[in-house]
Formats: sequence, C-alpha cells, structure tokens
Amino acid sequence: MIGKPQILHKQEWLAFLFHRHDAHLASFHTFSNYRSIWIISIIILAVTSLSPLVMATLINQRLIRQSVDAELVLQTERVTSNAKRSVRFFLEERLNALRFIVNELPYYALIDNEHLAEILSNLKLGFGGFTDLSIIDADGSQVAYAGPFNLEGKNYKTQPWFTKSLQRDNFISEVFTGYRDVPHIIIAVRSMNALGRLFILRATLDTQRLMDTLLSYKTNVHTDIFLMNHTGLLQTPSKNYGKIFTPTRLDVPEFSTTTNVIMPENKSDHAFITGYSYIITEAVTTPFILLVNKEKSVVMGTWLNLGKTFNWIIGISCLVMMIIITLVSTFMVNKLYLADKTKAETMLRMEQSQQLACIGQLSAGIAHEINNPLALINETAGYLKDLYHFTEEEQNDEEVMENLDAILEAVSRCGTITSQLLGFVRQFDVQISRVDVEKLITGILRFHKKETEYKGIHVTTAISPDTPAIETDRGKLQQILLNLINNAFQAIEANGCLDITVSHLRPDNITIEIKDTGCGIPAENLKRIHEPFFSTKKEKMGTGLGLSITYGLVKKLQGNIRVESSEGVGTIFFVTLPVKMQKEESA
Amino acid sequence: MKIILVDDEKKFINMLAKRLALRGLQADVAYSGEQALEKAAKTHYDLAVLDLKMPGISGFVLKKKLQESWPRIKCIFVTGHGSIDKNGDQDHSEDIFLAKPLDIDTLIETIHRTIGPENTRRP
Repeated sequence: MIGKPQILHKQEWLAFLFHRHDAHLASFHTFSNYRSIWIISIIILAVTSLSPLVMATLINQRLIRQSVDAELVLQTERVTSNAKRSVRFFLEERLNALRFIVNELPYYALIDNEHLAEILSNLKLGFGGFTDLSIIDADGSQVAYAGPFNLEGKNYKTQPWFTKSLQRDNFISEVFTGYRDVPHIIIAVRSMNALGRLFILRATLDTQRLMDTLLSYKTNVHTDIFLMNHTGLLQTPSKNYGKIFTPTRLDVPEFSTTTNVIMPENKSDHAFITGYSYIITEAVTTPFILLVNKEKSVVMGTWLNLGKTFNWIIGISCLVMMIIITLVSTFMVNKLYLADKTKAETMLRMEQSQQLACIGQLSAGIAHEINNPLALINETAGYLKDLYHFTEEEQNDEEVMENLDAILEAVSRCGTITSQLLGFVRQFDVQISRVDVEKLITGILRFHKKETEYKGIHVTTAISPDTPAIETDRGKLQQILLNLINNAFQAIEANGCLDITVSHLRPDNITIEIKDTGCGIPAENLKRIHEPFFSTKKEKMGTGLGLSITYGLVKKLQGNIRVESSEGVGTIFFVTLPVKMQKEESA
Repeated sequence: MKIILVDDEKKFINMLAKRLALRGLQADVAYSGEQALEKAAKTHYDLAVLDLKMPGISGFVLKKKLQESWPRIKCIFVTGHGSIDKNGDQDHSEDIFLAKPLDIDTLIETIHRTIGPENTRRP
C-alpha cells in the first residue's frame, strides 16, 4: 500500500532548488532537472536580450572612434597645411625680395654699405624679420655688410652654407648659431656681377618671427607645432621635445610634397597624432619639416568621457536586466516546478486511488463470496452449539463445546475481516444526504449498550445545541464513528470513560471528539496508526485496516482527522467535517 | 407475533430459523421474494428479516410490497455485501441493516428492539 502524498500548499520561492528526488513521483514529472532548466533559461534570456545591446554598443563605439579619428586627422591636416603655407610664404616672400634686389640693383650699388643699409632698412620695414644683409664674393669674402654686428671682412669660405649657396641660385639654411651665437636662418641668392663673377646676397633672418608665425597656429596647449631638420634636430622649441637644437629621436618621416598625417599604431588614447609637411618653396627645397603633434586623449576627451558614461549606463542596464531575467526565470521555473509537482502528485494520487479501488473491488468481491458460506458455517456451528446448549444431557461435553466455540470465533474473525474489506469499496462511492449527527451517534451507541453495561463503561455525549444537520455521506460517517467507537471500546478497561463531544465552533464545519480513558497509543506508533495493516492488536484479532479505512473515509468526506494520545491516560480522536460537503467526481 | 425469514441461501435460512426456534422465536422461511409474498398473502407477519440481494425481487422491493399489504410490518435487512445500494427515493433512515455472518444474540436483540420485547415470547 502506498502512503498519502503531501500536497505542497506553501508555494515557497526556490522550491525547485530544494527538490528532493522521490522515486514515486519522478515518473509523473514532465521535467526532471529544474536546476538546469533554470540555468538554461537564464542563459537564453540573457543572451537574446543582452547580445543586441552589447553588439549595438560595440558597433556604436567603433563608429564613434572611427569618426573621431577621421575628424582628428582632418583637423591635424588642416592645421599642418595652414602652418606650412605660412612658413613657406614667410620664407618665399623674403627669398623673392632678395631675388628682386639682386636683379634690380647693379653690383656696385649693392656693395655700397650705405646703400645696403638702406635696403636692409627698407626690407625690415616692408617684410620684417631681417637682421642683417651682406654681399659675399665667390671666394667667401664679405664685400659689403649692413646690420648690427661688425662682421665686415669675415670670410665664409669654410662655412657649409656658403658652399651650398654657391652651388645654386637660391638657398635657405637650417637654423644655426654661426659666429654670433644667436639662432638664425640664412637666405642666400646667387648672382653674377658685370665682370661675370659670382656673388651672393645673403640675409640673416630672425627665428623669433618664424616662431611667432608657428605659434599663431597653436590652437590649444595640447598642440605642439615645431620645425625640425631632415636629421631630426629641433629647429624651433617644442613643447614635447624641448629646446631648439635638441635631437627629437623621431623617425624622420618619408619625403612627401604634400601634407600627411600619421595615426599612431598604438591604440592608447595617450598616443600622439602627427601631421607633417616638408617645407618646399617654388624656388628651393628648405631643410625644414613642419610637425604638428596632437595628444589624442585631449582632443578626444569629450568623446571618451561620453563613451565612459555610455558604458556605465549600458553596464548598469545589463546588470538590472540580468537581475530581472534571473528573477523572472526563477519565478517561472518555480511556477513550472510547482505545477509539475502538483500534477505529479495528483497523478500519483489518482493512480493510488485506482489501485485502491481495484484492490477494494477485488476484496469486496472476495469478501462477499466468502460471506455467504461463512454465514452458513456460523449458523451451522451455532446451531450445533445450540443443540448442546439447549439439550441438557450433552451440555457437559466440554471438548465439543470448546471446538464449536473455536469455529464460531474463527467465523467471527473472518466476518470482521470481510466487513472491513468491504469497507474499502465504500470509500469510492459518495452519496450525500442530510445527516443528524446526534441521532447517528445515539444509534451507534445502542449497538454497544450491552458491552457498556458489561464492562461498566461510563459513556457521555455532549452535543452542542447549535450543531446543524450536516450534508454528508451517512454510510461513511456511520462507518467512521463505528470504527472509532469500536476502537475506544477495545481500549477502555472496566469502569473507564468514553466521552463523545460534538461542537460547532466554526460556521462551515463541525468537530466530533471521541475521548477514551483507555490504554493510549505510544508516541512511536502515533504516526503509523493510519497505515494499512498496522496493528498492535494481533492477539485481539485486529486486521490493521480499521483506522486506515477511517482515515480514508474522513478524507473522502472532505474532513480531517487528528489524534492526541498519551500512553496509559487515553486517546482523543478529533474528526472535523464540513457542514456542507462539496460534490466531487468520484475517483 | 409472526416472523418471516427471506433469503435465497436455503441452508442458511433454515438453520437460522431453527436457532431462533430454539430461542423461542417461531419464524417462517421463504427462499425468494415471490415465495415470501405468497406466504404474506395468507399470514399477517409482524416482522420480516430480509436478504438484500436475491434473484428476482430484492430486499428493498420486497419490503415495499409487504408494506403495501401490511403497512405496520417491520423489516430487518441482512446483507453479505459491505455496501447498500440505496435505490431510488426510498428513505432508509429507519431501516436496520445487519451484516453476514450474523451474531444470533445481536439478531435477537435487534428483533426485540424493533418490535418490542412484550410482543415476543422468550423461553
């Protein structure tokens, strides 16, 4: 036989996590591993809901970065290009002025110091940036000089710039200190005098003017604009690389006639983006390379901050979504689990009911078939006994009497078993009618009248006057009370008490209390008394079916049964029944 | 005081009649509902002990038919079945049911209670 499954009324959270494998229920469960269903559902929900968000964020960031980079390249290129044009114009303008002078004025006029000084003065006035002016002949001797330094008579034959300027029509030098120890640039124009001898008109340019021109393109403190020569030596001071003439250790960029921008290979935001351009005038290639360095992080600052904020928002959203997903999954899986569990329990109960019904029907069939021959044995043996009993001469044959009693006792015992087996059938068929509990109890007690008197048992019934007639199955209720009262009578010794109380404390049910002063039930047996075939009355012909049937019947009547007992003091059975039993489909 | 015992189990009912006779209760026997009705047509019975399930007329139907002729007749039902098929709208609240195998003392006591001991003659 199978015990009653417990219905889970308390729908606790996470019940599925604490699911214990039950061999009886397992086959009725649709799913077995709720933990993995839970995890899979969280993963699927998380992947489907979060992946588009994450993908969109990544794509968005990539696009932002690309557009920022493009914007940065454009910006750097523009600044570099503009600065280059200014520097080129600065040099070209001055070179062209010198070219104009040598072409316009005769050699003798040029070698006149006063005239040269006047020209210098005009150049300073017209263009600015000129420091001095001199005429040097092909031997390197300075023929005429106008300017603040006393350099007349100096020979430049050994100077590298002189050699270079003698080889071409126009020449622009690197920044160098020369004799005077001040950084300057030399612009030289080669020409020929009337005698066909080469001479050079040389002007020294103030680098400050050039630096000012460059600095005017410095849009912010994070931009570094400077000139360097073809070997990487600084030609103007640099914010990042230091003073003039400091080696930058930069790779000299590849020669190009256009403006170029180098994006750092290093993806870090602290890298520099570099714009460069070789300064080439129409007439001459200068030794200068213009470099514009911009720190990426500073330029991209706003964008990077926005990106960070965006990442935070996305991160928090993902976290919130994960929490919601987890909660929803947990809730749904728990609901699924509880529904499945309830279904499994119902199916198990149905199976048990069906099994019980089958057993019951089988038992009833057998019991009924046995009852008729049993009745005949009973009557025959009874009649034989009667014959001896009523015919006085045979009365003393004790052996015959004993054997007849044994037969009758065996028949009575069989009768008890068959009547209890028949009780099983009665569990499955409910017929509701109005039942007066008081009348029913009185009727049952009447059957025990003889036993009551014989044992001297004191029986009291207290029925609350407001107890209504209840709508229930009369036969089953009769059987319940009969079983319980029988039990009580069997437990009670001579001069004991049996109290039956019926109370109507709650409007929708009544409670029948059957209290005896019998031997009581030991605590270890209390839990088992409703189990079929559990009996402690083997010697007293107990079948172990009485209370099991009673329990089943009470449940069938939608009631509850509870027992309190202390060994040696007595037992109280509490049977609570609904005032109006709900019709249900019989199992 | 007239009693009739009705059951299709002939040996059982004869034996029961003999045992009742030993206890001073004379009872007629019938082996079917039809036979019982025949006997009841001739004799006025005070009490009928009826088997519930018999071929032909069942215990309940028999009771109804007997009561048509003798409205004051009392009935005790004896059954080997655990359950009682309460058919139709008949009220069984006053009916007495006893299970087989019978305890003779219980039967006698029930008979006394049903028709009153003053109507019965004891040995």
